[in-house]
Amino acid sequence: MKKTILTVLIGASALSAHAQTYEFPVSLPDYKGDATSSVSYGGQIARHALHNSLKKASTSGDLALMESYFSSKAEGLSILDPVSKKGFPIKQSSIDELSKGKDLMSGAYPGVITGWPGNLTGPEVLQQMVTNAANTKGGYDPVNGYDYTQLISKFTMGAVFYNKAVNGYLDEKLEADVKPNDKPYSKGAAYTGKEHVWDEAFGYFGAPINGLELTPKEVVQIVKLNPEYFAKADVNKDGVVDLKTEMAFAHAYYAASIDASGKTNYFHTILQAFYDGRSLIQDAKGKALSAAQREELKGYANVIGVAWQQVIAEAAFKYAGSVYADLEKIAIIEESNGDVKKAYRSYVKHWGELKGFALSLEAAGRDLGRAQSQLDRLIGFSPVLFGNAQVIAVNSKGAFTQSESMTMQEYKLNMLKVQNLLGSHFALTAKLNDRTGGMDDVLEQLKSGPSAEND
Amino acid sequence: MADYGVWLINELSLAASDLLNPSKRVSIWYLVSALFFAFTLFLFRYGKKGIGRLKMLFSWRLWWHPSARVDYGLWLCNRLILSLVFPKVITTLGIVTWLMYQLRELGLSPLPVALPDWSVVGLFSLCYFLLDDFSRFGLHWLMHRWSWLWAFHRVHHSAEVLTPFTVLRTHPVEGLLFYGRSLLVQGALVALFVSVFPGQVSLLMIGGVFVVTYVFNVCGANLRHSPVPISYGKTIERWLISPAQHQLHHSVAVEHYDCNFGVVLSIWDRWFRCFQFGSDQQTLRYGTLSALDQASVIGQYVSPFQSIKIRAKKKTATATESRQDSPLA
Repeated sequence: MKKTILTVLIGASALSAHAQTYEFPVSLPDYKGDATSSVSYGGQIARHALHNSLKKASTSGDLALMESYFSSKAEGLSILDPVSKKGFPIKQSSIDELSKGKDLMSGAYPGVITGWPGNLTGPEVLQQMVTNAANTKGGYDPVNGYDYTQLISKFTMGAVFYNKAVNGYLDEKLEADVKPNDKPYSKGAAYTGKEHVWDEAFGYFGAPINGLELTPKEVVQIVKLNPEYFAKADVNKDGVVDLKTEMAFAHAYYAASIDASGKTNYFHTILQAFYDGRSLIQDAKGKALSAAQREELKGYANVIGVAWQQVIAEAAFKYAGSVYADLEKIAIIEESNGDVKKAYRSYVKHWGELKGFALSLEAAGRDLGRAQSQLDRLIGFSPVLFGNAQVIAVNSKGAFTQSESMTMQEYKLNMLKVQNLLGSHFALTAKLNDRTGGMDDVLEQLKSGPSAEND
Repeated sequence: MADYGVWLINELSLAASDLLNPSKRVSIWYLVSALFFAFTLFLFRYGKKGIGRLKMLFSWRLWWHPSARVDYGLWLCNRLILSLVFPKVITTLGIVTWLMYQLRELGLSPLPVALPDWSVVGLFSLCYFLLDDFSRFGLHWLMHRWSWLWAFHRVHHSAEVLTPFTVLRTHPVEGLLFYGRSLLVQGALVALFVSVFPGQVSLLMIGGVFVVTYVFNVCGANLRHSPVPISYGKTIERWLISPAQHQLHHSVAVEHYDCNFGVVLSIWDRWFRCFQFGSDQQTLRYGTLSALDQASVIGQYVSPFQSIKIRAKKKTATATESRQDSPLA
């Protein structure tokens, strides 16, 4: 009897989990087409593929190749990453199979990025990085301490995906008069305005449709194209992984990789909010959302926005810890008169990741208050270089100017401050690679506030 | 102007919220628990007659005494003053970060053998309690020894009646000294512990409050500033400061001057030879026997500076006189 009940319970939970795949039928009552699904975000997945491919291309030194993925909107581009491998076949091999006429540059955050020299806007910063990467060997500039592969990749994720979703689709596009739910998104479309707005944000997050059924570790392994996890990825069992629905990209991957530590639940929190929000829209059955429904939807959007920002901050936190560790290694190697080349390369790589994520935080129109200027100053425009110098500006020809700075070892103190700042400002919990020893948690316990209690 | 109003209302409501905050001694929960503690103790010691000793706690003459009103005034005004100063001064986090960095640069590294979490938490909690309590004793002791510090601390001693709110009868300069003390103690200890035991350091807490603070407050810490003398008996008083012992510290009687500076532990007083036993039967008068005892809130704020000015003038005059009297003059 017990066994029967258990079987029924497992069956029911499997059924409910299955019901939470990101698939929704057409809800528009007057729709005349053949489509059965109202979910569509091929353009967003095309941009993910463009980003992955640009990252690959950034080590090539070929500006034309990089530009083709960054800003060309050209047809016929091959997907450079992810590509099929033995035991892990991928359905699409060209960008056009996902969507046509897409690029990365036009979607980047148009505001000024204060953390990068030159008062450049998001697209200008990315353009400068792409151009500079082409002038380096393998995307690595040891003179100024830039790893363009990392800078371009991490900042693109923030300036394009995070910005477009959080600053656009989950913000002003949820208002009543923008893309209403009682009209198709465009003439003849199988989806309503609000359905598509929500789906586009979901697409930018980059999660597979069965994400709620997957563990964070499984998501990480799917992104790594581990053949052992192919069956988990191939939801429709057609023998190939469809990049549109069965692959994880960008911040969805980072959310899962942070959650794999077991301390957080960002991936499922975000996905659940996306799913619940989409269900709310679906339940309106093609009618305009009421004020109360839109408020509820904004509540889900807020959950997504906060957790998404935390994912980026967690990633920056982790790499601030890596930079600290790299500086320790460099000091040890220097003391023993060893070759620091490898350690320095690793330092520049991790700094690029830290900087890319930190810049992302300021690339979505969200007010970070004092934290933004503090992050900018603590991290600087470049890592501290040998000879105690740091990039302080860029000249009119795009060349970076360096000036005297603190020592590399003193820069470690900045990394501790960066971790403290990120941890407290964004209320982080995973705090991977923590070099502060967990001091802010202890101080939180000791906090007493402004009072003058005598003895 | 509107912003100022919002700030004022916000700060005053935060001050009022201290009455419900379990990390504050004047929390209503601790006031009730102190009453219960005293009730139980007197009932046990003196039977039903003993309960009568608590009668004075329910007198409006105590709670609305001019001295008690100054306590309330200082509490609220200090809240406003310190809210302006606190965010601008150096933070504990900044101190800890800098100290930890320096300790690491000096070669201090995590312990090669990992200790279980519970032992690190226990060790840190014990060290924090001892260092915090000793540093409170030390600063208090200095405040009675150094005349310019005493000028500020006597504001606390000018209370003619003791109520639990007398704990907040403090000059803001003294409040800053307390802040500096806690900054140093917390900074040094946390920096040391997180360097040696990274990721393992935590305090033993009950309901979000450090376990020692919680037990201390639940067990009648508020009775220290009250008209009810409660002794713990000689055996316990050798180790823990009782309310009666702290009341002796506030006494105007010459024989009670400069005794019992401790907060929780009395061992520091024994070491510094300033220890006295308390008694349930003691009858004391409180204050400084000066005009300060009757001063308003503003008078309390200004008085220390006037006192320091007069003292400085006297010093200058004495120095001039001695120079004039010198055979070389």
